[in-house]
This record gives sequence, structure tokens and C-alpha cells, in this order.
Amino acid sequence: MAFQLYKSEVSGSFYSWRGAAWIVAASMIFSLVAYLLLTDKELSLLDQGEMLFTLGEIIISLGIIMATTSASSAISAEIESGTFESLLLTPITARQIAFQKLLSIVTTWLLLYVVSIPYLVAVSSGTNLSISAVFYVGLYGTLLVIAFSSLTITFSSKLKSSKNSVMISLMILLIMLAPSLFFATSLKKTGFGTAIEDINPVSHAMNSLDSVLVDNQQTLPEQAIHILPVVIFTIVCLLILTNYTRRFEVKPIE
Amino acid sequence: MAAANTESLHRSQIKSNNGIVTSNLSKAYRDFKAVNSLTLNVEPEDIFGFLGPNGAGKTTTIRMLCGLVLPSSGTGKVAGFDIVKDSVKIRSIVGLLPESSGFYGWMNAQEHLVHFALLYKIEPHIAKKRAQDLLEKVGLAEKAHVPISYYSRGMRQRLGLARTLINDPKIIFLDEPTLGLDPSGQLQIRKILLELNREKGVTIFLSSHTLSEVSSLCNKIAILDRGTLLAQGSIGELRKRAGISQKILVRVTDTPEARQQLLNLPFPSSTTNEGAGLISVKINTPIESSNKNSANYDINDIIDFCMKKGLQIYDIQRPEISLEEIFFKMTGLPPTLESIDSPFSEEERGMKSKGARLH
Repeated sequence: MAFQLYKSEVSGSFYSWRGAAWIVAASMIFSLVAYLLLTDKELSLLDQGEMLFTLGEIIISLGIIMATTSASSAISAEIESGTFESLLLTPITARQIAFQKLLSIVTTWLLLYVVSIPYLVAVSSGTNLSISAVFYVGLYGTLLVIAFSSLTITFSSKLKSSKNSVMISLMILLIMLAPSLFFATSLKKTGFGTAIEDINPVSHAMNSLDSVLVDNQQTLPEQAIHILPVVIFTIVCLLILTNYTRRFEVKPIE
Repeated sequence: MAAANTESLHRSQIKSNNGIVTSNLSKAYRDFKAVNSLTLNVEPEDIFGFLGPNGAGKTTTIRMLCGLVLPSSGTGKVAGFDIVKDSVKIRSIVGLLPESSGFYGWMNAQEHLVHFALLYKIEPHIAKKRAQDLLEKVGLAEKAHVPISYYSRGMRQRLGLARTLINDPKIIFLDEPTLGLDPSGQLQIRKILLELNREKGVTIFLSSHTLSEVSSLCNKIAILDRGTLLAQGSIGELRKRAGISQKILVRVTDTPEARQQLLNLPFPSSTTNEGAGLISVKINTPIESSNKNSANYDINDIIDFCMKKGLQIYDIQRPEISLEEIFFKMTGLPPTLESIDSPFSEEERGMKSKGARLH
């Protein structure tokens, strides 16, 4: 019964249209991307490693977006619908509530990740990149999903409004995804671009994926320089959530 | 063995002490003092009424006692547990029905109750059985499998009460429990509360605006205004604190001698001619006080006086002092609309004329 809230969250997500819709939408996007990469005249000219990197980037980005949007309403939706007070009245602590919600979001990500594995294997067929692609996409995806979910759950409980927390979280997500998705290679090589990439954990994850799949540097020690900032970012986000959820207080209606 | 002993000690502690004690409990939000130095004493098995106008600090007090809000200062114990240090233990043995509770609309009532029961670490088969029993008790058994989103406000309130009772609480906090319920629903809820109190010895802490509900259910009442406790005790004790005297109504046969005698009554009184050969006399009895020099008389003294003076008593009554009177006197608030004279005559309101009754 220790994970009752987690179980209920997971079943709630999949009873409702939201969780199922994410998985269906993700499968359709993966199918489309894989189909285009393999059949489109121009895209199929790409090196297979680059194809895998593009697909990996899309899988991780989709995972983070899914996690952020789900987490943004994790606490605030309970507050808005008046169920939060009832939850806090049970003997589970505020921190347990937050972490069980986090766990349910990570579970949804893991499902999405499992759905993406056949696509990664299909696009990497004929190369030695399959295992690395599956491993690194899983590693970075999971770490970033945990980090962004933790941060967004904190916003959700702090702002008490799903609308505001989704706006702020998506804004942060966009800022962090922008260098990888929108910066041109020339911009990335300028001092500004390098500085941004050095402090941005999402850039580290994407650069690591690039170096594994395109430059074939597949071992963990080779990637440690990228893994470490992502791990540190995840730990910091978890600490923020842990600290903020030390005690929730029901505030009077303002 | 040691764990069993600790568990039995824990249970006996709960059983022997289902009371609530606070000492100078305060809660401030920036400069606003929601609750100010509240000192309460609720005995085990009391049905304690908590009254106060809107914004008096009732809900904040309940939230502090349930460990949902941290007090700014002061201390409090619920069933012997500290409201700050032992809030998780408190939450496992109390039930709270908030003023506006929320529900998962996609669940049905049965699922909702089982969900909360499991959060209280109740075994699934016990949870299911308890949910069924409670739904029957609150009159929702027939709608147990309908999604809650289709429930009316009254049905949600009943479900809220069932959820409050799902962990078999020793102390129940109720914030406006009959809000939105029809009269039969209100009666049913009161009956359930009385049963719980009498049969299981559950302590009930009831915050309500319905003064008739509080006066009919509660053995002790506290009145709070702007975060400050004005008084607590039984209705009789509150009456004394409020300085409201008990009235005695005597109707005597209207004769010229009686009129003469009534002019020299030794009690503070007012006289009205009722017609039909009767005179009505309203006598204010003194407020009981420790002052031995103050006049002291009761209904027997009034009967003796009437007999001595040859007044023929038609009937004599001692009407109950309403909680409304005490509440308005203590809070200094104007009375509610119900107690203001209606612009319509009683006949227009269909209250007095025989014709109206016949119809």
C-alpha cells in the first residue's frame, strides 16, 4: 500500500485519454521520423549515425515535453480540484506525495522509451550502434525526465496553478532545448555558444549522443564529461523538490 | 513482542485520550492574525461546537489541529499527540470533512473510498467492505458505481463524510458538514454523528454556521471572533458569560385585582395584555453570580408570589435560551435575516390564519 498513490496515478493516466494519447502520438511521430529518415531522398543520404542521433534527439525531447506537461499539473491540479487537502490528511507525507507523482511520470516515460526501442533498432540496423543508441537514449532520457519533472512539480506546488506552472516550465524547457535544436553549428562554436553549451545539461546530453552515434565514441569514460553535468543537474533538481516538499502547508484562499 | 507492546500502548493512549488541548495557539499570515492565542480544551467523547462569523479563524484552527498548517506560536495536542511533531500520527487517527472537499471525478464512490482507505494502509479486502458499509450508511449505496462527476452537491457532501470515516477515526473534525444538504440529508448526517459519538465514543469537533445544528448536537461550544476565543463551555455557561438572563413567562387571568398586583411586582418584568382574559408577564431571572447581595429568585419564588397575591396562573413557561441570542450578544453581530421582522404578515406567509392551516 506504500505506493498506492503511485498506482492510482499510473492507472489514472492510462484510464484517461492523456497517457494513452501520449503513447499513440509518440508512436506516430517515431514511425513518421523513421519512415522519412529511411525513405526520403535527401534525409536518406544522411550518415546512419546522424539518422540515429536525430531520432534519439526527438525521443528525448518528446519525453521531456511529456514529463514537463504532466508534472506541471501534478500538484496544482489537486489544489485546483480541492483534492490536495484530502491527500494531505492521509498519513502519507507531502514528500511521499510528490515523489510518487514523480515516479508515475517516470513510468510513463519508460513506457514511451520502450515504444521507441524498435524504432532505434530499425534505424541502426546494420551498424554496431544499436546497443549504444538504446542505452544512451535511455540514460539521458531518464535523467532529464527526472530532472525536469522534479523541477516542474516544485513549480506546480509553489505556483498552485497548472496554467502558470506549465507556462514557466515550458519556457525553461525551451531555453534549455534551444541550443541543441535551433543553434547553428557556427553559433555553437562562438564563445557565447560554447558557454551556453557548457552550462546547459540538455546540450551536454545531446552532444554526448552526437559523439556516441556520429563520432562512434561509445564508452562511458569517453562520455563522462557529458554524463556528469546531467547527473549533477538531476541531483540538484531532486534536492530542490525534496527541500520544497519537506512540508506543504494548505494556504487560506486569497 | 516489543512492537506489539508499543502498538498496544499507542492504542491505549489513543483510547484513553481522544481529547484536544491547545495553549495560546496562534497563526499569522504576514500581518494578519488568523488565530490569536487560542486556548481550547475538548474532552474525550465531547461533541464540541466551534462557532464564529466568516473569517473568524475556524478553518485555520481545524487545519492546525490536523497538522495541515503549522502554527506560528503556541502548542496543541490531539489525542495526546503534538500537532507539529506528530502530525502524521494525528492524521492516521482523525478524520476531517473540509468545507469544500474535492473528488476525483473519473472515479466512482466505491473506488474513491477504497483509494483513500489504501492510502491509510488498510488491507484491500477490509477497505472494500468498509467502503460498502459507509456508502450504505450515508445513503449512497445505490449510486456507488456512478462516476463522482455526475454527483450533486449534496451527494458529494455525503461522500465526503464517508471518506472522513474511512479510517475509523477517533476524532472527527467537520467544517460545515451539512452545507448543501436537504433537510432529510441534514438529519441523516446528525444521526450518524450522534451514533458515532454514543456507540464508538468518537470525539466530534464541529464547525458550523447552523446554530440550531450546533445547539442540538453539541455538549460544549466555543465562540471565536476575529481569531480570538470569546468563550467556551456548555450553553448554560455561555449564557452566564454573555450576561443573558433566563426569562420566565407567566400568563395570569385578567382581573382588576391582578392588574393592580402586577404593577408592584418585585421582579424586573414587562406585562402585555394578551386578550382572551389573559395577561402575559415576562420576568427576567437574575444571572447566576457569585455576588451574594444580588437578588436571587427562580420559578418557584414566582409561583409562591402569585399564590400569595391571589393571582390565578393560567400557565408558566421557561423558554430555552437560543444559541442565536448568545452568539449575537457575544460577537456583537447584527441578527440574521430570519430573526428580522418579515415585511409580510403572518397570514401572508401562511403561518397563522386558520384558513391557511386548513388549506
